[in-house]
Amino acid sequence: MSYTLIVAEVRRGVFEERNLDSLGLGALLGAQSVLLVPDGAYQVPDKLVDVVLKVKAAEEAYLNPMNMGKILEAVFAARGKPDHVLFTQSSSGTESAAYAAGLFGMPVITDVSGYDRDAGVFLKSYYSDKVFGQFKAAGAPAVLTVRSGSFREFAAEKAAAAAAEAIEGAAAVEARTFVEYVEEEKTDIDITKAEFLLSVGRGIGNQDEVAGYEELAGALKAVLSGSRPVIDKMWLPKARQVGTSGKTVKPKVYLAMGISGAFQHIAGMKDSDCIIAVNKDPGAPIFQYAHYGIIGDIHKVRDKLKELAKG
Amino acid sequence: MNILVFTKRVAATQEEELRITGEGQAVDLSKVPFKVNDWDNYSVEEAVRIVDKAGGSVTAISIGDAESDEVLRRAIAMGAKDGFLVETGEALHDPFTRGELIRGFIDKEKVPFDIILTGVQSEDDQFGAVGGVLAGLMGLPYASMVIGIDAVETDHVVIRRELEGGLQEKVKVATPCVLSIQSGINEPRYVSIMGIRKASKVERKVFKADGYEKGSPKIELVKWVYPEKKGGATMLDGELADVCGQLLGILKEKGVYQ
Ligand SMILES: Cc1cc2nc3c(=O)[nH]c(=O)nc-3n(C[C@H](O)[C@H](O)[C@H](O)COP(=O)(O)OP(=O)(O)OC[C@H]3O[C@@H](n4cnc5c(N)ncnc54)[C@H](O)[C@@H]3O)c2cc1C
Ligand SMILES: Nc1ncnc2c1ncn2[C@@H]1O[C@H](COP(=O)(O)O)[C@@H](O)[C@H]1O
Repeated sequence: MSYTLIVAEVRRGVFEERNLDSLGLGALLGAQSVLLVPDGAYQVPDKLVDVVLKVKAAEEAYLNPMNMGKILEAVFAARGKPDHVLFTQSSSGTESAAYAAGLFGMPVITDVSGYDRDAGVFLKSYYSDKVFGQFKAAGAPAVLTVRSGSFREFAAEKAAAAAAEAIEGAAAVEARTFVEYVEEEKTDIDITKAEFLLSVGRGIGNQDEVAGYEELAGALKAVLSGSRPVIDKMWLPKARQVGTSGKTVKPKVYLAMGISGAFQHIAGMKDSDCIIAVNKDPGAPIFQYAHYGIIGDIHKVRDKLKELAKG
Repeated sequence: MNILVFTKRVAATQEEELRITGEGQAVDLSKVPFKVNDWDNYSVEEAVRIVDKAGGSVTAISIGDAESDEVLRRAIAMGAKDGFLVETGEALHDPFTRGELIRGFIDKEKVPFDIILTGVQSEDDQFGAVGGVLAGLMGLPYASMVIGIDAVETDHVVIRRELEGGLQEKVKVATPCVLSIQSGINEPRYVSIMGIRKASKVERKVFKADGYEKGSPKIELVKWVYPEKKGGATMLDGELADVCGQLLGILKEKGVYQ
């Protein structure tokens, strides 16, 4: 019988919320949905799938792609191969998805954010969402990673709770082992608490420009934050990064200057009350999420705002 | 320590308007500038740093058309010893096919290695998959989102992986292995035009992609489409002073500025 295998992402005892998007896509695909989770006290939405398959594996082993390879082998042996294997689009989800694709010779489409059922095509972002490719997998099972926020509204409650099943895990592999978690250093400024964030992106051009934006933030009484490239280049400290690998923020106003609007950035600020974007590219994806937009040079806007704020 | 590092030449589309041609057959990149993939810039730097400490050599490899020689010269200017171009007629979208081609190339040419580095993702296609597929195909240990390499020993490395929200995990990986490097892991050195010119004197080897085994693509690109419009922003128009005045008005209305 055909089925969709949904590999749940868990971390430190938590069933990650972005799994709901995998469940949503699972519902759209229409086949029996089997949710794979490690054995443990996870809060699993068991009305949204047909089968919850618990695997006897510690969380760290389950999140290790080499171990996931062994676990999938056991699942395929027990239930046959599914049509689709869904992972989350995340650090560990994409890691295991790509590795499993290579290991079992499965087609892989990552960062899937749409599905056209009639045409059987998956939508995948290119060029930071400036265009999308419609892809078809040429064989089964196909591995997909699911973009957070894309499908959760399609997750449909079933009449009965899922059937609970279990599967033996596989011995932990030696080739890769978990050592420990490393927490981010605490800093005095917490951008998640700010009411007004002025956020700068790669568009600021070079480090010498940062001071001017600090001055503007001072004049507007905003807190300065940034997109990943600005933090990677060490123009701003890591604690100021907005996005999936930084902080998720929800200020009253998020003023984005020189930020294109890649998904990993958007995911960290899209729920702000009011988003204002300044960018010289009218096609910048961020304008799709902003409430107000200005097409223009950010440095000119910065200087004029400073002038007006002083006056 | 022999390190193979993959480097890709990509279209720099961040400030460009992209046009889809025909019935969605192609994206017109004819007027778009090209550059080295940002993530690969970090991984070339990391490869050179490992070798500076542990000894050995770095080989940069690119898959693409003849123009990709440019990113090999750049890698050599940064400290790579060799540059190999696996020349393909057309761009390969499928990360699986790219993984197969790389495996075929390494096997057939018997390219020695202890560590293979790729970037986390290509800026253009954002698959984030070639490193993982390659590791799976070659049966090598794998780690992605590598944001720190803390120790390089004879039979293993200790690395840190970036997770979500600022959290990292420390992981021990046996070598030989494949690692995908995340941006921000280091500060890539500056490469001058002079440096690249000097690197041009180092011979790069060209291999034809047809010489290596790979199956037919596992995914098919049906067509290109523009993103769905999501309502979009109210655009503030007018002279600069006027636009900025409107912006300040919105800030006041939202209560974040007096
Ligand atoms: C695993 C992973 C995790 C990631 N996590 C994050 C994250 O947490 N946060 C994050 O932000 N990114 C993250 N990224 C990176 C993300 O994919 C993008 O690369 C990044 O968000 C781009 O930042 P940007 O918009 O500042 O730069 P770009 O995409 O380069 O955009 C720069 C923009 O500035 C505009 N511009 C340039 N000059 C001017 C000017 N003078 N005036 C006006 N506009 C100008 C351009 O038109 C362009 O739109 C992650 C990526 C990966 C793979
Ligand atoms: N054509 C290519 N040439 C060289 N390296 C590549 C190529 N395609 C992918 N890679 C490597 O694989 C990484 C991930 O690519 P992708 O899966 O396309 O996002 C990139 O950062 C490169 O290091």
